Amino acid sequence: MTLTKRLTISLLGAIAVAVTAGLHAAEAKELRILTWQGYADDDWVAEFSKANDAQVKVVYAQTDDEIWSKIKGSDGADFDLMSVNTSELQRYVDAGLVQPHDMAKLPNQKGTLPQFNDLTKVGGVGRDGKIYGIPFAFDSIGLIYDTNKVSPAPDSINILWDPKYKGKILAYDASAHNFSYGALAAGIDHPFKLSADEFGKVKQKLIDVQKNILSYYQSADEALKIYQTNDVALIFANFGHQQLTGMLKANAPVKYVVPKEGALAWLDTWNITKGCKDKDLAEAWVNFVIQKKISQALTDRNGFGNTVTPLTGDDPNQKLVWLLPVEDFQKRSDLWNEVKAAAQQ
Amino acid sequence: MQTVKHRWKDRLQRVLITTLVWTPPIGLIVLPLAGFLAYSFFALDNGEIVHRFTFGNYIRFFSDAVFVPQFLRTCLLAAGVGVITLLAAYPVALLLWSLEGRAKHLMLVLFVIPLLMSYILKIFSIRAILGGRGYLNTLLMAAGVITEPTPFLLFNLTAVFLTLSIILFPFTLLPLFVTLERIPKALIQASSDLGGAGWLTFRRVVLPLSWPGGVIGASFTFVLALGDFVTPQMVGGPTGLTFGRIVYSQFGLAYNWPFGSALAVILMAAVLAVLALAARIGRSQGGPP
Repeated sequence: MTLTKRLTISLLGAIAVAVTAGLHAAEAKELRILTWQGYADDDWVAEFSKANDAQVKVVYAQTDDEIWSKIKGSDGADFDLMSVNTSELQRYVDAGLVQPHDMAKLPNQKGTLPQFNDLTKVGGVGRDGKIYGIPFAFDSIGLIYDTNKVSPAPDSINILWDPKYKGKILAYDASAHNFSYGALAAGIDHPFKLSADEFGKVKQKLIDVQKNILSYYQSADEALKIYQTNDVALIFANFGHQQLTGMLKANAPVKYVVPKEGALAWLDTWNITKGCKDKDLAEAWVNFVIQKKISQALTDRNGFGNTVTPLTGDDPNQKLVWLLPVEDFQKRSDLWNEVKAAAQQ
Repeated sequence: MQTVKHRWKDRLQRVLITTLVWTPPIGLIVLPLAGFLAYSFFALDNGEIVHRFTFGNYIRFFSDAVFVPQFLRTCLLAAGVGVITLLAAYPVALLLWSLEGRAKHLMLVLFVIPLLMSYILKIFSIRAILGGRGYLNTLLMAAGVITEPTPFLLFNLTAVFLTLSIILFPFTLLPLFVTLERIPKALIQASSDLGGAGWLTFRRVVLPLSWPGGVIGASFTFVLALGDFVTPQMVGGPTGLTFGRIVYSQFGLAYNWPFGSALAVILMAAVLAVLALAARIGRSQGGPP
C-alpha cells in the first residue's frame, strides 16, 4: 500500500467516525450543567452518561455572581441544571429563572437524612408549596473548642460570652454573619430578618462579646496560625468542618460542636433552569447524585456534609439554620462598625 | 515651503510628545481620583448607586457619632508613628552617615532590606514575636521578667502602633539619611575648627540642615500609617479599629461606594494638608524646595 493510499483510507475512516458521532450526538440526549468543582466529578458523569445514553456538559463556576450572570444573561437558556445555595436561590425564584422540581421523578429523595427528607420543612428551598432546590451539600458554622481548655464540651453559643474565656476567642470578621449568630445567641429564631428592636438587642450582645475576643481572622489557615502562637480556647468556625480538618491535621486537640441555639449553615441545592430543554434528564441527574454512593463520595472527597449519610460525629438532631439573604447588608455593615468603635471605649 | 513643512512637523511632534507624557498621569491618577470625588457626591438608594448630586455622605461623616472621633484617633495614631520613627531614625541615620565605604553600604542595605519583603510576611513575623506564646513572651519569661505570658503585646491598638512603626521605619530613615549625605563635610569641619564640640555642631549645624529631611520622612510614614487597613485587621484584635478599616468596610458586601469614596476623599484631604505642611517646613528651613 502506498503512503497516499494509506492516508486516504485513514482520512475516510476518520470522516466516517466523525459523521456517525455527529449523528449520534444529534440524536442523543444532552444535559448542560453549571455547578461547582466537586459536584459533577468525571466518574459520576461517565456513569450517568452511559446509563442514560446522554451527553453531559459540565461548566464549573468560580463565584455565585458568575452563576447569576450566566443564568440571568441567557434568561436560563444556556443551562439545564445549576447549583446554588439557599440564600442565592431566592433571587432566582423572584426572577422566575428556575422551575419547580417534580418530586415523583426523584425517588432517591426518600432515602435522605431526616433533616432533608421533608423538603417543605427545609428553609429556603421552596416557595408557595413548590420545591425549587434539592439539597446536595452543606456545612455548618459551628464552634471549634480546645478540649484541654474547655471542659465539659460546650453546648450553647453563649459560652462565647463567658468571662472565663476572656481574650481566648477567635471570631470571624463579617458583619452579616455576626449579626445572624448574635441573633441566635439572643434567642431570635429569624436571624436574617431583624426588626429595629432586635437590631438594638443584638448590637449590644455583640458589643458585650468584644472583650472576650482575642482577634478576628479571615482565613482558616490564619486562625490556625493565631491558635498556635496564642492561648485560644474557642473559635467561631466560619469554615466549618474544613477548618476542623485543617486543625486536626496540625495535631491541635480540638473538637467541633453545633450549639443548641443552632448554627448558621450553607446548603447547596440542585435547580432546574427556566430554559431547561430536557426536564426528565435533569431530574434523572439530580436523582442520580442523591444516591448513597455518590453522596458519600462527595463527603469523602471534599469534607462537606451530604444529605444521605451523616457526617462522622455529627448529631442527627443538630439544629442548622440555612442561610437566607439578610434584610439589609449595609445596615449590618454600619452597625458592625459601631460595635467595633464601641469596643475601643 | 520647506520651512513651513518643517515647522508643521515640529509642532506635530511636540503635540505627540506632550500627549504621550500626559496620558499616563491623567489616565492613571487624575481620572481615577476624579472618579472618587464624583462618587462621593452620589447616593445609595436601596442598595443601588444613584447618580444624583448630594452632600449627604459628607453630612453623615460630620454628624455621625462614630466617624469623626475615629478619624481623629487614627490621625493621632499615625502622627505617633511618624514621631516615634523620626526619633528612632535620627541615631540610625547619624550612625550610617558617620560610617565610610563598604560598612556604610552594608548597614544601609541592612536597614532598607525589609522594604523588599512582603508586607503580609512582616506582619505574620511580628505576630509570631508578640503572640501570647510568641518569642518575646518566651524570652521575658526565661529572663524572669514575667511569670506568665502577657497577652497585652498583641491584638490591640498598641500592637497596631508598634507594627506600623517597625514596618514603616525605612520610609522615615531614607529621606533623613539622604539629607544628611547632602550636608557638605566642610561645614562640619568649619564648625569644629571654630571650637564647636560634637553636640554643639550637631545642634547648630547638622540638626537645622537635616531637619527638613526628617520631617519629610516622618510625613511619608504618617501618610502610609493613616490609610493602612491591613495591619489593624491583622494585629489590632477587637480594639484595633482604624479609619482605614471603616473605609474598607464600605466596599465589598456593604456596597456603599459613595460613602466609602467620601471617606477616602476626606482622608486624602488630610494627607494633602500634612504633605503641604511638610513641604512648607522643608522650604522655610532651607531644605530642598
